Parts: sequence; C-alpha cells; structure tokens
Amino acid sequence: MKELDLEVAGEFILMAATLIQIKVRMLLPKSEYEEEVEEEDPRAELVRQILEYKRFKEISESLADMEDHQRRLFTRSWFQWTKQYKKDEGISAEELLMDVTLFDLLSAFKSVLENMPKETVHHVATVGVTIEEQIDFLLNQLSEKNRINFRELMVQLKERVTIVVTFMAILELIRTHRIRVQQASAFGEIWIVKQ
Amino acid sequence: METKGRKNLKQVVEALIFASDIPITYEQIKGYIEDTTVSQIRHAVEELNLEYKQTDRAFHIFHVAGGIQMVTRESYSPWVSKLFQKRRKAKLSQAALETLSVVAFKQPVTKTEIAAVRGVNCDGVIYTLLERKLISISGRSEGPGRPLLYKTTKEFLRYFGVNDISDLPRPREIEEILKEESHLSDDAIK
Repeated sequence: MKELDLEVAGEFILMAATLIQIKVRMLLPKSEYEEEVEEEDPRAELVRQILEYKRFKEISESLADMEDHQRRLFTRSWFQWTKQYKKDEGISAEELLMDVTLFDLLSAFKSVLENMPKETVHHVATVGVTIEEQIDFLLNQLSEKNRINFRELMVQLKERVTIVVTFMAILELIRTHRIRVQQASAFGEIWIVKQ
Repeated sequence: METKGRKNLKQVVEALIFASDIPITYEQIKGYIEDTTVSQIRHAVEELNLEYKQTDRAFHIFHVAGGIQMVTRESYSPWVSKLFQKRRKAKLSQAALETLSVVAFKQPVTKTEIAAVRGVNCDGVIYTLLERKLISISGRSEGPGRPLLYKTTKEFLRYFGVNDISDLPRPREIEEILKEESHLSDDAIK
C-alpha cells in the first residue's frame, strides 16, 4: 500500500485553500464600511511569493553556470592525505580538525549512539494462572451450570495469558474426556458440556 | 640563510602553492617564509601567473575562497575530466542550487525561511548540502523554537569559484522583474 505523505498532502491542501480563499475574496462583494480601508488585492501576496521565488531561481541558474565552469577546472590535491590519514602520521590535530563543522560533530555523535553495544533486556513476567487452576475453574463452572458458552467464557477473562491458559485447560479436559465441545452449525456458538 | 629580498622567493611561493591541496592564503604563505610581506608574495604570484601565460602552461594560479590555488586551464578539461570521471561528485540538483541561492543571500537563515521562498519542504536538500559541506550550521535563531540557522561555507566559495560571497551575482529587485515582465507582455500584445 502506498504510504500517505502528510508533508506533501499538507502542502497541497494549503495551496488549494489559499487559492480558494483568493477566489472567494474576489467574488464576495465588499461590505460598505470596509470600502474606506484600502484593501490589498488578494492575489498580491501570491504574486509577491512567486516573484520572490523567481529572484532566487535566477540566481540558482547563475550558480549552475558557475558550477559548470568550475567543474572544468582541476586543482591539485594530495590524494594520499584524503584517502588515509591517521593521527600518528605527523598530521597535527589542527589540520585534522580544520574542516570539522557542528554537523560533523552531530553525525559523529549519532553514529556513536547507533554503534553502542545494545543491552538486550527481556522482561519476563510470571504467569498468574496455571492450567490446573483453570481446569478446576472450568469444572466448578460446569457443576453450577449444565453448559458454558465458549465466547462468553473468554470475554470475562481479561488478560491474554489467562485466555491462553484457559484454552489449554479446555484442550486438556477434552483430551482426558472430562468435557465435550459442541457446535450446532458452522460459525455458531460453541458450548462446553460435561462428559 | 637568506633574509630580505630573497632571490628564490618566487620559487618558494610556487612550491607552497603547488603542494597545497586546498586554497592557501597570502597570510599563510607569509607565515611559512621569514621576512616577507604580503605584497611581496602577491607580486610573486603575479609574476608566476605572467610566466605561466607567456610560456603557455596548462595551469595557472587562481584566486578562490579567500586564497590561491593552482588549477588547470579550462581548455584542457576534455582530457582532465576523463581522468577524474569516476571519482567526481555528482552535480548539484536544481533543488540544491535553489536552496543554496536562498542561503547565500539571506544568511543566516532558518529552514522555514528557505521553505517559504521555495514553497516546498527542504529538509532532504539541506541534509545533502550539509554533508557536502556547502552550508553549515551557524547557530540558533532567537525566534520561537530557536530553530537552527544556516550559512554558506568556504567550500561553497571554492565550489563555485568565487573569492568572496560579494562576488556572486546579486538577485534582481522585484520591481526590476516586474518591469521586464510587463515589457514582455506588452510585446506579446503587439
């Protein structure tokens, strides 16, 4: 499934809303008392934004030309230094750190955090119920009523682990022929009865 | 050791520029040679460039990012670019160039301000530019949320081959663009 990009969707809705707002303001008659206040053309803000963008777009075109030109000029470089420099190869800390920016520091910090040995902790809780307890519980219920509705039984159990243990208790009771399970029709209610 | 007016000053300067892998400044060169002045070094560089020109060398000394560096002449790029074909970085994308234009003329500038001009989110582009060291974080704005501020770097100057940020073409004023636009539409009517 394609994921919804909220960022893009939000930008789209903002743009659509802005255009609708402009249209609405153009269509609505101006109220009389507002007429004295000189109202700016609602399109002006949009035009200003587009022109502002155009200014920088033009600059970006010049930058592209400059980049193009500059890529045809080749400077000298000390490849050995750029490939593998080590602190003990006579390079001073100053030289090593010459071009280091805050961004490098943040990236380094991030990679340190990511490469930290992970401490795996498993949280193991003791199960509050046993199969034996649930067998007793089921047999008790059955001595009170003739039959138990499987769905209703499960609904009153709150915890997932209790449900699992109870289900295992049912399986155990079936195996030892102490109870039977009945179902009148496919997908119908399941009833638990005493053997 | 020779001191004042050393005879081989031009050669020493040449050696330093030749060996440096980054633009080197006159001040730096001065620091490596005893009893010289910046103007002497400047003169030596001028003489070297003249010599290179007269002897039709394939390179010259170029002023960039506040320093000087030896570069090959443009006419030799068809061959030299083949040499570097595999290890060159990709050209900047249109989005990256636009973002750089905004940073260059509005710096220090926040992400939101850049996005406001371009009309789209710029997070990815900014990350790429930071990684390529064309912009850097210059601090935090005093505004709400204290967002990070960005500025262009020395590498930016080097990359575009200018000595100083003021050497970049300036953005036209909006009025100027408007004038041209109306002129164009007038022509269209005719």
